[in-house]
Amino acid sequence: MKKTVLSIKDLKKSYNKEQMVLKGLNAEIYEGEFIVVIGPSGAGKSTFIRCMNRMIDFSNGQVIFDGISISEVKGKQLREVRSKIGMIFQHYNLIGRTNVIKNVLHGRLGETSFLKSALGLYSYEERKEAYNLLKRMGLEEHIYKKAKDLSGGQMQRVGICRAMMQRPKLLLADEPIASLDPKSAKIVMEQIHQITKQHQLTCIMNLHQVDYAKKYATRIIGIKAGEIVYDGQPEHLTEAMINFIYEGKEQEKTLLNEKELAGGLTYGF
Amino acid sequence: MDSKGVPINQGKKLKLSLTIIFMCVVASLPFFYLDVNIVEVMTSLPKLIRFFIHNFLPPNFSNLRAYMEPVIETLLFAIVGTYISAVLSFILGILMSQLSPNLVIRVFIQSFVTFLRNIPVLIWASLLVFVFGIGNIVGLIALSLATVGILSRMYAESIDEIASSKLEALTASGASYLQIILHGLLPEFIPAWINWTLFSFEINIRASAILGTVGAGGLGILIQTNLNLRNFHEATTLIIILVVMVLMTEMAISNIRSRIYH
Repeated sequence: MKKTVLSIKDLKKSYNKEQMVLKGLNAEIYEGEFIVVIGPSGAGKSTFIRCMNRMIDFSNGQVIFDGISISEVKGKQLREVRSKIGMIFQHYNLIGRTNVIKNVLHGRLGETSFLKSALGLYSYEERKEAYNLLKRMGLEEHIYKKAKDLSGGQMQRVGICRAMMQRPKLLLADEPIASLDPKSAKIVMEQIHQITKQHQLTCIMNLHQVDYAKKYATRIIGIKAGEIVYDGQPEHLTEAMINFIYEGKEQEKTLLNEKELAGGLTYGF
Repeated sequence: MDSKGVPINQGKKLKLSLTIIFMCVVASLPFFYLDVNIVEVMTSLPKLIRFFIHNFLPPNFSNLRAYMEPVIETLLFAIVGTYISAVLSFILGILMSQLSPNLVIRVFIQSFVTFLRNIPVLIWASLLVFVFGIGNIVGLIALSLATVGILSRMYAESIDEIASSKLEALTASGASYLQIILHGLLPEFIPAWINWTLFSFEINIRASAILGTVGAGGLGILIQTNLNLRNFHEATTLIIILVVMVLMTEMAISNIRSRIYH
């Protein structure tokens, strides 16, 4: 019996009364899964993923993480829930004028008192861990650079380190490679996959590259107009289903050619 | 296409003509209403220049040493006033931005700051003179109040921009409100902070000269006093000092600015 990490029940969200963005979604997320959520823009992917750590308040339904119904907590408890969920963003969301290692250590803020964080009193283990994460991403030479002086791919890898620094039980990634060039995208995607696998970390990722979804996901969820229209293994995702999901927005499903996808990874910067 | 070819303007000619007529009316109406004779204004110009040259030149530099104290005072008050308002405005700016902890506080602070901003510094000074009497402290408070009115709003705009694009990750990591302000907002806000504060310092230096006219201390009070005593040559010296002071401030500030951004 697989352990449930996140349980989503009848999740509904509307920004105004007329239009429902999410129309009652249900999903059980199990430990160790690498879930990719696909769907055209405007389908509600971003809203969906942000309901999972309540960056967006949903209108109806339940999200249960680690035995806690997250719509019912607030203040310190909500921050505690969030601190166990790492998140990676399309635009990296680093603090540009702060150096790289401090940006990674921001991942500890949820469990560090204000005074300690203000004085920069992170423990030896935390500093070491931050350094090791950055080293693993090939960024050990850049740790004192300002984050804004890095390239997009580098910034996203710092973003991954920051999320991992939270020692999360769940990793959320909202279009993590959408702003990157194809080469950096490939590296970043591979690194997210490897690091989650190594830590046996559950991951939920929004992507619009269907091919990447098929390559890495253990399970694919297809969202169309606020409803889950596919939830299953990548092998069973048929061409017809993909076409159905992207119906009317065909130009958005970026299909990489096989050669590019299978080609060896290069870590040159 | 007919022989007229392609017209390059889509609009009607009538609209343009009406606009021009309207602008002319608006420009000339005040002259009639206020009974200002434009010819008289023009012809009195040489008289003004002659009066100025005759009475104000050459400047009298004999009291230069005595002027140094009010000059330094003016500078120091502008500096202190700017510091006070920079700190106060940062707090108010956060409270009236989207980082405000509470909507009621946000609206209240916004209205308060709008109120401060819409009362000119001279009015503040005239009011405060009645409370504190003539002196530097009045100038300092008046400057600070007016500057807080402007700076808070400028800061709030910069804070909103940062809050909407850069702070999501810290919130998602479980950081507390104060941690988000300190580790997220503050580093990103510093360039805008310095920039707007320098801008207000420049304004404050100029404003401190006007403030003297209502008895709020500084260099302005000397200019006013000397004019009233018809010591025009001394007044000229003081005005020159003021101009030099403003110019030097501007130069120093543009120097600092270029160092921040390059």
